Amino acid sequence: MDARLRRVNKEIADCKNDKTSHISIDLVDNSPFHLRGSFDGPEGTPYEGGRFEVDIVIPDSYPFQPVKMRFITRVYHPNVSSASGAICLDILKDAWSPVLTLKSTLISLQSLLCSPEPRDPQDAEVAKHYMTSKESFEDTARYWTQIYAGGPGKDGKSAVQKGGVKDEIAMAGLNKAHVDQFEALGFDRSKVIDVLRRMNYRGANIANINDDRVVEELLK
Amino acid sequence: MPFTSVDGDRSLEECISLQQQELEVLDSIYPECIYRGNMNGIVKLEIPVELPETATLIIDGPNDASPAHALSPETVSPQTASISTLPPVLLEILLPASYPFCSPEILSVHATHSWFPFTSALQRKLLEMWQTGEEILYTWLECIRTGEFLDMFELSSAASGERVIRIPHAAPHLLLPLLTAYDKSTQLKTFCQNSYECQICLSSIKGARCILLSCSHVFCRACLENFWKLCIAEGDIGRVGCPDPQCVKALSEANEEEVRRVVTDEEVRRWKWLREKRMVEKDPTVVHCPMSFCQHPVPKAPNVEEGSGWERLRTCPQCSYSFCSYCKRTWHGPHTDCPISVTETFVREYLALPEDSPERAVMERRYGAKNIRRLVERYEEERANERWLEHSTTECPTCNVHVEKSFGCNHMTCAKCREHFCYRCGERLQASNPYVHFSTPGKRCFSKLFDFENIDDEWQPMEGFDAI
Repeated sequence: MDARLRRVNKEIADCKNDKTSHISIDLVDNSPFHLRGSFDGPEGTPYEGGRFEVDIVIPDSYPFQPVKMRFITRVYHPNVSSASGAICLDILKDAWSPVLTLKSTLISLQSLLCSPEPRDPQDAEVAKHYMTSKESFEDTARYWTQIYAGGPGKDGKSAVQKGGVKDEIAMAGLNKAHVDQFEALGFDRSKVIDVLRRMNYRGANIANINDDRVVEELLK
Repeated sequence: MPFTSVDGDRSLEECISLQQQELEVLDSIYPECIYRGNMNGIVKLEIPVELPETATLIIDGPNDASPAHALSPETVSPQTASISTLPPVLLEILLPASYPFCSPEILSVHATHSWFPFTSALQRKLLEMWQTGEEILYTWLECIRTGEFLDMFELSSAASGERVIRIPHAAPHLLLPLLTAYDKSTQLKTFCQNSYECQICLSSIKGARCILLSCSHVFCRACLENFWKLCIAEGDIGRVGCPDPQCVKALSEANEEEVRRVVTDEEVRRWKWLREKRMVEKDPTVVHCPMSFCQHPVPKAPNVEEGSGWERLRTCPQCSYSFCSYCKRTWHGPHTDCPISVTETFVREYLALPEDSPERAVMERRYGAKNIRRLVERYEEERANERWLEHSTTECPTCNVHVEKSFGCNHMTCAKCREHFCYRCGERLQASNPYVHFSTPGKRCFSKLFDFENIDDEWQPMEGFDAI
């Protein structure tokens, strides 16, 4: 049995025995080198109450090369790609150490959710949203947690309140009045949402964006 | 036997059994310290001193240093080191048949390397500790093993929470290396006997198969070898260091001794080569050895004063060729200029680059901005000088000295070599009749004896010229 397999088995066993951290690691198929980890959204954050799943691939030279991790659960966070789940975290790259384990890395992901680092973003649009209005960003992140991670949502409302229909405006972290305003001009709703999201049409930033510019974008 | 009992009702048998018991207890606690053998009543205790924590050891030289000593300061100045063990103290003890009811005898006290100077005083103090009926050996052993006896001689003190041990000795510079070597070897022995949890393979490994890194993190040799081997093979030498996350974040790298202990000689060579390469790529002062067979990268020597001529010196570590980094010729000293032509192409190259360009910055870093600026200044001065020489002076056709005429006619007599020549065209003139040059019709300087302008220039009539 090679050292990599021995270590991964130990790590999986260690996680199984640890009942306090609420971190689980499961096999995806029969290989111990493709795993699925999951952890709870940290308390006191918009991710609270959600359960986040992470795709884990153990490279050949593990633990000397960093483990590959990607969010399966969609997360609204400056350091996580909202489209692919790719993660921007130093320990998954150059700051990796062979001493780090699957569990400790998942705990690091958990704390990444607590402390976003918008200056080193994986998702520039989300990072802009975060910088413009933290409150609005948190609303969106909470909504995503509710939709994708089974979170309780605002005021503890259930995720499936509207019969499973997602609110596209809340998903994009936009204001309904703004979307309506441009939709009333005769533009397609999803196009309006797409453009306003890209332009970061939120909070104080709205003052910097001329209506004409929005229309110009919508006409493209 | 002349007596069957001592001290009233205590029988000899009782004493023997008490002694037996005491020695057995000692033997089971410190089997490596006690030796009895077949010697009648003689017990040897070899007690290593294991301080409860690391202490600073200061060895003081003799106070009444003779003038001869004063001449060599290292023999008298106190020597210090950080230690946690001291070499054993050997006690040879005679237990009389009636011990513990009559006093034991200490036959000799000896410290390995004679590091402890007060052996006879220690002997006295130990005996004073004994009280009738008391089994004293364990107390003695502990008193010495923990270093407590040092307090009895006021050799140990606690300064700002740290223990300091001061030992007087005739030759501190000789004793200190012995004591530090002993301390090191004992620590290594303990390290080898302990077990450590390797954080990479997550197994408990015997110290003998582990490596203690200079940052005091411990990993098993096999894991460290796999890790460093991979990094060296991939050329990622920045990661050849302690794998602990804190050390990784601090970008600390292993030293050569550590690397040598873990990987093969060939890997060490590759690691060193990669490090050198990295240094070359990082260091803008590096130039390559101009010897065609060598081409080794040569960095600027450290601690060279900026702007001094020594900045140009490079000594190839491979072939020992010492050369000037400007002209790549054999080192010509810090004050002698490089042959001008080389400097000129160099400066021309520099001046041809646009100001504030990155290429200029690289050149400035490589050769020193001050040096370059000075060179450019000198070059420009030189150029101006050349232009002036060309424009306003004429070269003596014999000795090549440049002569500027302030006034007078164009017939020159060289102040240096006495040659006669024409200031206008530089031609040599007959010393006997120099004016033929100016009075022969058809010659290019005909009737130009008083022409001030250079031959190439347009002739300009000057005011008051006719009056001369």
